[in-house]
Amino acid sequence: MKKLTLLCTSLLLLVVLTACGGKDKETAAGGTFFEMGTQDYTDPKIIAYMVKELVEDQTDHEVNVTENIQASPLIITAMDKGDFDLATLYSGEVYNNHFDDDQVEYTTDPDKTLEQAQKLFDEKFNLKWFDSLGFENKYTIAITEDLAKKKNIETMTDLGKYAKDLTIGTDSAWIERGDDGYRAFQEHYDYSFKKANGLEISLMYEGLKLRELDAITAYSVDPEIKELNLRVLEDDKGFFPPSTASLVAREDTLKDYPELEEIINSLTDQINEEEMTQMIYEVDIEKQEPKDVAKKFLIEKGLLK
Amino acid sequence: MEFIRNYFEFWRDRYPSILEYAVQHLIMSALSLVIGILVTIPLAILLTRLKRNFLKSLVFNIANVFQTVPTIAMLALMIPILGIGMKPAVTAMFLYSLLPLLRNTYAGIQSIDSGIVDAAKGMGYNSFQSLIKVELPLAMPYIMSGIRVTSVYIISWVTMAAVIGAGGLGGLIISGIGFNDKNLIFTGTLLAIVLAVATDLLFARFEKSRNRTRRKTI
Repeated sequence: MKKLTLLCTSLLLLVVLTACGGKDKETAAGGTFFEMGTQDYTDPKIIAYMVKELVEDQTDHEVNVTENIQASPLIITAMDKGDFDLATLYSGEVYNNHFDDDQVEYTTDPDKTLEQAQKLFDEKFNLKWFDSLGFENKYTIAITEDLAKKKNIETMTDLGKYAKDLTIGTDSAWIERGDDGYRAFQEHYDYSFKKANGLEISLMYEGLKLRELDAITAYSVDPEIKELNLRVLEDDKGFFPPSTASLVAREDTLKDYPELEEIINSLTDQINEEEMTQMIYEVDIEKQEPKDVAKKFLIEKGLLK
Repeated sequence: MEFIRNYFEFWRDRYPSILEYAVQHLIMSALSLVIGILVTIPLAILLTRLKRNFLKSLVFNIANVFQTVPTIAMLALMIPILGIGMKPAVTAMFLYSLLPLLRNTYAGIQSIDSGIVDAAKGMGYNSFQSLIKVELPLAMPYIMSGIRVTSVYIISWVTMAAVIGAGGLGGLIISGIGFNDKNLIFTGTLLAIVLAVATDLLFARFEKSRNRTRRKTI
């Protein structure tokens, strides 16, 4: 009996270890596996499956998607180490403490932000930052339509008059961020909220529904904005940085597999904000699989047969 | 040197908010521990007095189940009932504290030689007197070790509460991960460790001084 247990354990270990060491395996068709990481929100997941569909349709390679990486800096670290070949990132990432203050210049101009991201990430991490996929997903402040109507709030400046009685829900990182975080926001708009409550992104909407939060830092493509009838406030003093979505790949991977670059470029400027919001709606609210939503979109666009 | 200077600057800029996170952390941990103690010790005593094994195992199994629910799921499950913030976080931590507190108190009272309890009875102690004067003091080392272990656990688990808007040192850590700032992650972790070790030491001293006074009275 003991021998049997020992045998089973060693077999199990063997299986686990081989599964872990599968980096250099070949696909059935003789291609390679690309590793793609996604954040824990929905747009990068949908895009990952678009890349997967296209790569597997047009080449012998396959793409492994790892979902729900908790934060984008972790994805960049993993790409730097070679664990991921591909990811979807947003140009505002360039302000996320990766570079020294004298290297990066804070601006709310989308083109300049993207340019800086393309240049700096290439220099420091040897990552190719592609042109925009066509949509932005930026921070914005949203409040319920009720509150907006009652107090006649349209801009972030308007919100300031009532902020001292309001609780804002946001992801924890925003409270501590540098140029584009809550600290800078308080200086820029010259007001503070009664309380800034950091929490998991998907729970912000829950908090609004439960009326424990009055305002939230929403993302501009979130379908809940429409679903819950929220009003997105105008950033009238130009505070929030642009956040254009791009695919990012390791230069080393692209050198070995130039065909990948062509596929990525075929997605440039293909998805606008409305289309992305619709797709996120289908995944988050209608509970469809990101994979199916991605495929359907590619077929509609004629990128996939 | 550069690193140390930077880190000092980091503290200088942020110490009010760091303290706020730490205080939130402490409040949540203390609240859940106190509620846990208030509920479990009477419950454990009651269980030792019960004749029915079925009821005992039922209670322990319930506590066991709470213990095994993953922290993140427990917190998420609280939200529809209790909303976001400290309330659900403290409730979740309280549920986690049940098992270690209950088990230790129960084991402590069970471990007492029945001869001692009989002797107390023989001296004319009623059941309540015997509990207060004989059984609880003898079970104290077990109860205290339960409280110590649980307090360290709770301080570590409360870091997860940040995902449901309850703040605490987890907020610093999650911010650090999201904003790519190692200082934030390091500080959150360091303070959580300091809190846990300090709490444990505090309980250790309390136990020691209690033993000393007891020896004196005897």
